[in-house]
Amino acid sequence: MPDTNIKMKMVIATLGLEVHWRGAVTVARLLRDCGVEVVFIGNAYPDEIIQVAMQEGADIVGVSSLTGGHLILGSELMEVASQKGIKDNVVFVIGGIFPPGDLPKLKEAGFDGTFGPEANGEVIYTFIKKAVSLKQKELPDI
Amino acid sequence: MDDDKTTKQILDEQATAQRCASLYNPDFLKELHNSFEKWQNTAITEVEKASLKTIPHSLLGTEIPRGLFYSPQDVSKIDYAKDIGFPGGEPYTRGIHPNMYRGREFTMRQLSGFAGPEDTNERINFLLDHGATGVNIIFDLPTIQEYDSDNRMARGQVGKGGVAIDSVEDMELLFKGVPIDKISVSLVTHYPTNTAILFAMYLVMAERRGIAWEKLRGSVQNDMVVEEVVRGAPEYIPPPECFRIQCDNIAFIRTNIPGWNCITFNGYNLREAGTSEVTETAVAMANAIETIKELVARGYSADWIAERITFFWDVANDFFVEIARLRAARRLWYKIMKHRFGAKSSRAMLMRCHTQTSGLCLAREEPLNNIVRAAYHALAAVLGGAQSLHVDSYDEAYSVPTEAASLLSLRTQQIIQEESAVTEVVDPLGGSFYIESLTDEIERKILDAVNEVEEMGGLVTAIEKGWLHRKITDYTLRENELIEKATIKIVGRNCYKASAEDIPEIDIFEYAQDTEEKQRQKLKKLRAERDNNIVVKRLAELREACKQRQNIFPYCLEAARANATEGEIAGIFRESFGLWKPPNFW
Repeated sequence: MPDTNIKMKMVIATLGLEVHWRGAVTVARLLRDCGVEVVFIGNAYPDEIIQVAMQEGADIVGVSSLTGGHLILGSELMEVASQKGIKDNVVFVIGGIFPPGDLPKLKEAGFDGTFGPEANGEVIYTFIKKAVSLKQKELPDI
Repeated sequence: MDDDKTTKQILDEQATAQRCASLYNPDFLKELHNSFEKWQNTAITEVEKASLKTIPHSLLGTEIPRGLFYSPQDVSKIDYAKDIGFPGGEPYTRGIHPNMYRGREFTMRQLSGFAGPEDTNERINFLLDHGATGVNIIFDLPTIQEYDSDNRMARGQVGKGGVAIDSVEDMELLFKGVPIDKISVSLVTHYPTNTAILFAMYLVMAERRGIAWEKLRGSVQNDMVVEEVVRGAPEYIPPPECFRIQCDNIAFIRTNIPGWNCITFNGYNLREAGTSEVTETAVAMANAIETIKELVARGYSADWIAERITFFWDVANDFFVEIARLRAARRLWYKIMKHRFGAKSSRAMLMRCHTQTSGLCLAREEPLNNIVRAAYHALAAVLGGAQSLHVDSYDEAYSVPTEAASLLSLRTQQIIQEESAVTEVVDPLGGSFYIESLTDEIERKILDAVNEVEEMGGLVTAIEKGWLHRKITDYTLRENELIEKATIKIVGRNCYKASAEDIPEIDIFEYAQDTEEKQRQKLKKLRAERDNNIVVKRLAELREACKQRQNIFPYCLEAARANATEGEIAGIFRESFGLWKPPNFW
């Protein structure tokens, strides 16, 4: 599964006051084992997450939410990303527990991918690899 | 009590000193051994022989090897009186009451908590009207993490996953019309710091309703493992301070509210974060040992404290292991109290417990399957002799349960209680070669794990060093690998996969949209109408108590009486104790 030809950097955070960290840490370790350079920052709010993503030059931002904060804080994250101009060249994914009706809303807010508890490391890795290469193609030539 | 020795050393010495009268005579065992050999050589093939022991893999399990079947050979060392005994008598393996469920049914206590206190109040009354026999309250993220609903950090999360409580006024709305002098109430406060605040608010609420504290029955959690390890948070106080508050709460509650369980050692949430039933039980017991030692050092009697402590266990997939674990935990706790702490009171030796079916074992795919999973978990809890039970709802893999799903969980309990007849006989599986052998093995493993913690210098030290964080992470990663390889099977996910898109046709709970705004308005009014000078004074007194190392609980109580908010009180803790950064563990 690891693909050393593609270097990817990802910032992972648990969103806001979310208490559950098992999922975020598991994904962080799995992706690190796939060769992704992971910056795990624990609990954080949109401003901080975007700031870290910019400082680190992240290709991907992944956030985790299980207890219902996903819509409001998730949308805020995407708004901040948009304001700071990184929405279109960074891949944004969110994982956790969401009512099925909220999945289209998260996509609408701007998330490139949403993952439930059933998503395994390979599914997530394959997704972000493809998403990163697609987003990079969208970047204008300098 | 001998502090130089570990609990395991003390219990091992006891075991060697005691006689052991096997149920079987040596000649019989010899004959049995011979006929077993003969059976092995004739009845089964070489291939079958090689697989006589297997290792089952299950979610949140321990991988205890299992024989093909069990016989007197596996329990030949068991002394009936010493190891099993009679129900309600030492060593309490069979149960804490002589007549168990014939005398007292298990308490049917379904968790409730969502949106504002007014909304959750309706759910509490709905469940009580439908035969629930206890109340169980879960708080929303900001309340659990101790930020007021109008704090910017709470935005988007108010009323999510639990009920929003900011002040005594909210506590009054939450319990409006609920007969708290007659029914027992479990407040799932999780952390020592929010126990000091939320339970203080509960006591003030009772006062304002004219209900004497002596009449209150119920429990708080108050467990530092949940605060420092199980949860993720933007801010933590250091583990030694958290442990100190845990003990402060116990000392105050035990002294002033005699019918209240002052701590619930919470294995459940640790297990769900990712560990086995052995670690779950061992960490809770290591915490209990350290807590009682600390309170003894503060001058309290171990017996008196232990009479009012309880445990909270997860019941997951490995059916017989879960039953055996409850039996093992009862016997081990009895031994710890009797031999490590020299307890005299029989109540102090009882491992009383609340149990909850495993949420982690629920799957999103084909959610109705979760009804079956939770029913098996619940049955295991009852066969294991639990005092109180919550059954998870099938829709919890998506959101908090709907009213209909909550009712179904309650009905699951009632069907076990009223229809299955499993409660008629005490410890119905006791004496099974398999169950007794598993009970022994699990007890040994738990004690070994307690020993590991004690040899590291105790639980607070183990937490500071990141041992427990790493243990959970390592366990979870390995478990994840086993799920991906389908070694651990999840029906509908990695075997017998659901064919259609896994969008279920079930109703999903929808949150009210206006909870955050309503809470903000209430807070605005509260801050405008209360006497803010008194609030400032009470908070200053609390700050001083934190510094002077006085018991903080009475000061939290005074702050609650003055209508200080949860966030204001918690702010004093953060300011006085400083913040702790958990070790890097991933």
